[in-house]
Amino acid sequence: MVIFSVITDATVEHIILAYSALFVSIVIAIPLAFASLYSTRLASIVIKFANLAQAVPSFAVVAIVVPLIGIGFTPAVIAIMLRALLPIIKNTYIGLSNIDPLFIEYAKGIGLTDWQINRYIRIPNAYPAMFAGIKFAAILANSIAILTAIIGSGGLGELVFEGLIAFNTDKILAGALPAIILAFFIDVSFSILERILTPVYLKS
Amino acid sequence: MPTQRLFDRINSVHLQQVTKQYGEHVAVKQLDLEIQGGELLILIGPSGSGKTTTLRMINRLIEPDEGVITINDHNIMDFDPVRLRRNIGYVIQDIGLFPHMTIRENIGLVPRLEGWSGQEISDRVRHLLDFVSLSPESFMDRYPRQLSGGQQQRIGLARALAMDPPLLLMDEPFGALDPILRKQLQDEFNIIKQEIGRTILFVTHDIDEAFKLGDRIGIMSDARLIQIGTPEELILHPENELVSDIVDAKKKFKHMDTLRVKDMMSPITDTYLFDAGMTAQDAVKRMTQTNVELAIVLDNSVPVGYVEMAHLVQQIYYDVTLRDIVEPIPIFSSNDHIASALEKLKDRGGSLGLVMEAERPSGLFFLNDVLLRLI
Repeated sequence: MVIFSVITDATVEHIILAYSALFVSIVIAIPLAFASLYSTRLASIVIKFANLAQAVPSFAVVAIVVPLIGIGFTPAVIAIMLRALLPIIKNTYIGLSNIDPLFIEYAKGIGLTDWQINRYIRIPNAYPAMFAGIKFAAILANSIAILTAIIGSGGLGELVFEGLIAFNTDKILAGALPAIILAFFIDVSFSILERILTPVYLKS
Repeated sequence: MPTQRLFDRINSVHLQQVTKQYGEHVAVKQLDLEIQGGELLILIGPSGSGKTTTLRMINRLIEPDEGVITINDHNIMDFDPVRLRRNIGYVIQDIGLFPHMTIRENIGLVPRLEGWSGQEISDRVRHLLDFVSLSPESFMDRYPRQLSGGQQQRIGLARALAMDPPLLLMDEPFGALDPILRKQLQDEFNIIKQEIGRTILFVTHDIDEAFKLGDRIGIMSDARLIQIGTPEELILHPENELVSDIVDAKKKFKHMDTLRVKDMMSPITDTYLFDAGMTAQDAVKRMTQTNVELAIVLDNSVPVGYVEMAHLVQQIYYDVTLRDIVEPIPIFSSNDHIASALEKLKDRGGSLGLVMEAERPSGLFFLNDVLLRLI
């Protein structure tokens, strides 16, 4: 039997871990995506790096952090961030740059400044892609936050790993089930948010 | 902060020895051109002749390598480009309505950036929609993709007029529309043109459009201005072969009595045929889908008249069928002589006729179009 408060504490820890990593990722990724718009060199580096990092197994990312930064909560946040950052950057950049240049040119022609073109034309057009990136990043963060228990992040993953080592099925389930429920919750809540935030013109 | 008005009216726009080069390619070469205040000047020429480049140098989307452009004797390079552009209306072929904004937001974008209140913007949008014959109630809150091509182009014009600019730049505004719709919008624009009374530079590659709308026409070829003048001057005194080819000066010798209605009509397809029992609402829907703004109404396969989008949209809230609101239309056979057809149209006071061939509607006959082609 696993004590209920242990599960709730681990769940809270897991949520804090995953979401602080997600939050940091958003804060870093969006300005970086914007900067990529203005520098084709930066854009190509960012996109190449994003594709490469997506190909690296999550477990390897978690492992590589240890010799570089050590173990504990902060290295775990960084490991999660390394994986969550990239879908957000990539999607935001694609959303911002995938607009018909005609609109940008016309907006310029009627007297919008660069800033106004971003504010009124580019960003609203990029919403759906940005959102899809953040949703994907949230799901990634949730799953990697289990793995990071192996480098001492705490959270639900700790229960899972302890359970695995001790052949304690109750403990494994106590860690795994909340994580699965959280994943469902993220998917459903983001889908609802997505429906609310999708601009009217994209709904059929 | 609202942008200051740079000029209330245009006395002249002057391009002096303007050259623009892209690497080896010369887009515009030593161009001298004057647009007089209040006129509609057409620039026409084959693609790549430099007409669009010329137009875009006036709002500084392109900056010349050499030469000076002045508006009312002020060098435009002395103005802030954003401020300059907000004083110049701009209409393009692809319309460029922003898909994520409603019609109200599209037209009201620059006024909003200029700090107008919501009420002022709504009033202005209403006024402009009325002006381009679209009912504000049915259009203000719709999105561009819910509109037909012709409606979008009207919105494009309304948007360009939002800040009441004294100068308008129009880059092939009707170029993407099908021939019949294009003629309708040209006719409408001709009326609007008188009302707005402003200076317009208009680029096209369609000589009929140039004759129909232009006060003066400038002919460009290979980055140079070949000749500029009124339509009559160009037809009667073409400077060279190229000009006479473009204006098709030979057509003044065409013998009217050899021509028949079928030579001058604009062919129509089944897209233009609507059943009299259709409701106004369904008709508007179908027109929007098929991108037409005028339809021939058939009652048991017999044509009874025509309806136009602009009238239909005012009827969509009433339970009416096309039978109730159809306008009569004179009917011609495709083998009728032009002269007799024109006479018949003149008697009826109309400007549009329907051409029948083997009991089927086969084309439309526009008075203006025929006159233009005959010159």
